[in-house]
Amino acid sequence: MSAAGLRCPGCGSSNIVDDDLYCQAQLVCVDCGSVVSEGTLADDPVGGTDVSYSRTTEMTRKPCLNLIKGLERVKEICRILRVSSEIEDLALTHFRQAYEHESFINVTLQRKELLAGCCVFVSCRQRDWPITLGTISCLLNADQTLVGGVYQNMMKILNIQAPFINVTDVIEAHVQEYKISTQHVPEELAEDSKVLSKRAVALVELAGDSWIVTGRKPLPIMMAATYLAWQSLNPNKHRLRLSLDKFCQLAKVQKRKPATTRITELKEVLCKLGRELPWVREPVTQNDVVPLVGDILEHRHTLLTRALRTHERAMEADCTQTFALNSLTEEVAPSQISESRNQTANASSVVQPCPNTRGENQEGDGDENHQSEDPEPNWGKRVLFAPPCVLHAKMRRVERPVQNVTGDEEISDSEIDSYIRSPQEVRDFAQMQKMASCSDSGKS
Amino acid sequence: MIMDDLALERYFDDSIANDSSYLVEEDLCLQSSQQQPHASSSKAQSSTHLSGGAETSGKLGDDLDLSFLPDDLSNQSSISTAAAAADRNAALNVLEDSGICLENNLPDSGAVELQKSTVDLGPESRASPFCPMTPMTPMTPMTPVTEKSGIIPQLQNIVSTVNLGCPLDLKFIALQARNAEYNPKRFAAVIMRIREPRTTALIFSSGKMVCTGAKSEEQSRLAARKYARVVQKLGFPARFLDFKIQNMVASCDVCFPIRLEGLVLTHQQFSSYEPELFPGLIYRMVKPRIVLLIFVSGKVVLTGAKERAEIYEAFENIYPILKVFKKQ
Repeated sequence: MSAAGLRCPGCGSSNIVDDDLYCQAQLVCVDCGSVVSEGTLADDPVGGTDVSYSRTTEMTRKPCLNLIKGLERVKEICRILRVSSEIEDLALTHFRQAYEHESFINVTLQRKELLAGCCVFVSCRQRDWPITLGTISCLLNADQTLVGGVYQNMMKILNIQAPFINVTDVIEAHVQEYKISTQHVPEELAEDSKVLSKRAVALVELAGDSWIVTGRKPLPIMMAATYLAWQSLNPNKHRLRLSLDKFCQLAKVQKRKPATTRITELKEVLCKLGRELPWVREPVTQNDVVPLVGDILEHRHTLLTRALRTHERAMEADCTQTFALNSLTEEVAPSQISESRNQTANASSVVQPCPNTRGENQEGDGDENHQSEDPEPNWGKRVLFAPPCVLHAKMRRVERPVQNVTGDEEISDSEIDSYIRSPQEVRDFAQMQKMASCSDSGKS
Repeated sequence: MIMDDLALERYFDDSIANDSSYLVEEDLCLQSSQQQPHASSSKAQSSTHLSGGAETSGKLGDDLDLSFLPDDLSNQSSISTAAAAADRNAALNVLEDSGICLENNLPDSGAVELQKSTVDLGPESRASPFCPMTPMTPMTPMTPVTEKSGIIPQLQNIVSTVNLGCPLDLKFIALQARNAEYNPKRFAAVIMRIREPRTTALIFSSGKMVCTGAKSEEQSRLAARKYARVVQKLGFPARFLDFKIQNMVASCDVCFPIRLEGLVLTHQQFSSYEPELFPGLIYRMVKPRIVLLIFVSGKVVLTGAKERAEIYEAFENIYPILKVFKKQ
């Protein structure tokens, strides 16, 4: 290539030739021999080759190491739980699918491990294998809320549904955990696992019917049921004296804090039914209901119907009494009666004409107080069994009555000014901020 | 640059006038609420109001207020559908915050009077083939003829956004305003609070603002205007653009326990019930697109609505489903 127009910087001559002899093309001045310019050493295009290394056939694509590890972990968990191979395969499929998603590909290893556990959990549920999230959390040694978060994320990504698992299905597996057979504990405290599990199932069913189970975590309920079952199967003084704490230590399970409340709630239900036993003379209290548990569970359906009937009759008797009282005080305005009837008309299914008048009685009282906090008649107290959160309803702070606002009202200047600092305040505040930041920087 | 106050009010009114979503319930709410103040705490009073309402119904029965009908009114041809919608919305809107629970088969006077008085819509409406659009005096509350729950969800929180239309100096606002807090390391907005209506606002340096905590749409708008006024008073040329309700949360109590396990079995595609994670059942309703939190105690929380009507509709949809799971 002719280098016309180029001048050698050394001698100024325009006699420059293209020297291709050596590997590097150069423009050389003939007169003084200095190199004017040189070509590139390699012929590769700017920025490297067209095909990147990772995409060439130089390197076979190896699966991500963490994916392999994760799959191994899934298999491990499945083997610990001794689930069927079908569940294991399903879990591996889910894991592979979820792993590729952006929510799980660039996260901490801990999260990936939680994902492994959640895949197993979902697969178990889909194949009707009873298991709780608590068990998985224990296996993964992680906080249940964290696991729950990963689980819900995964469900959204995979877009699958997991059928609901009932507590009654899980209780049998749960009871197996308790080391309470004759091999582990002394004779008077030992119990056969099958017998224990059968009674625990009955207790959990009863709990389910009487609103103790819905909305609550299953593990404490199962623990309470197991404990009561164990106590009632042989209510000798050793067992009755043993507290839940000691029982859990004995059986080598971790105690759950809410289990004590569940025990109380369950005992209450048992008392209500125990009262209906025809051969029981003394009133049944929490302390002496345990020996009766066997009988109660055996006849629980009959006892349930009897208890409901007794309760209805008690309600009616109560109403007629209050109605008699009210008929004397006839100055109750008809509008008030209709209003309170409206108010209480949509109570639970056990409603009869009476609760309205009872509500009316309460209304009458409330009216005289002229307080704005008129407590609503708690419908929970009118039925035999109600969810404990209704029976022990939290006291809500009374909301101020809503004013009628159009949104277009005038906004007074004084109100707005009350939200703005005066100049003196501004100065003080600025000074204080400066002092605070000075002291901070002084300390640090 | 501080705008003249009067001009300011006019400006705000203009921007509101162009916002169609505010044509609807305000008139009705204002007038109805004058007749029927919030009565959940003073139930005895409310009954007298009911009967009072029944008495005045004769006068108001002639006027048919359809201003609360949905926006696409131009498409509605038949008066019957409009009237039906009117019935529903009137009953719901007027009873909105009263918390009065009406049963369908009320044994006694108060509600029956209402039923009788408001079934005939008045000669005018029957005569004309199209709905009169002028906002008129509202009808008295009508007890709907169809099977209804009689329970009105109460609004608990409204989240709205508005654009103040000018960049703001957050440091300056935090310095000059008493009710403001600003911690740029934690969050990039000023948190401002006013006492009446009791609300909180997040004010960003772009001029956009989020207002939360109000218990009704009108209160939310009033609160947002107050915040805009404060910002104005501090010297910024704040305007009131694109006010929009983003989310409404309501709650109510059906007063019977609900078998959540049963509900999740039959409505699996909509429900998510994980007692180990959360005690309530999360029901994602498709139409209207509302999320309901249903608890065993019978309390229901509805959220995700942009309009009050969506909440009422969602509740009326879920109530018969819940009744199925009310067992003893």
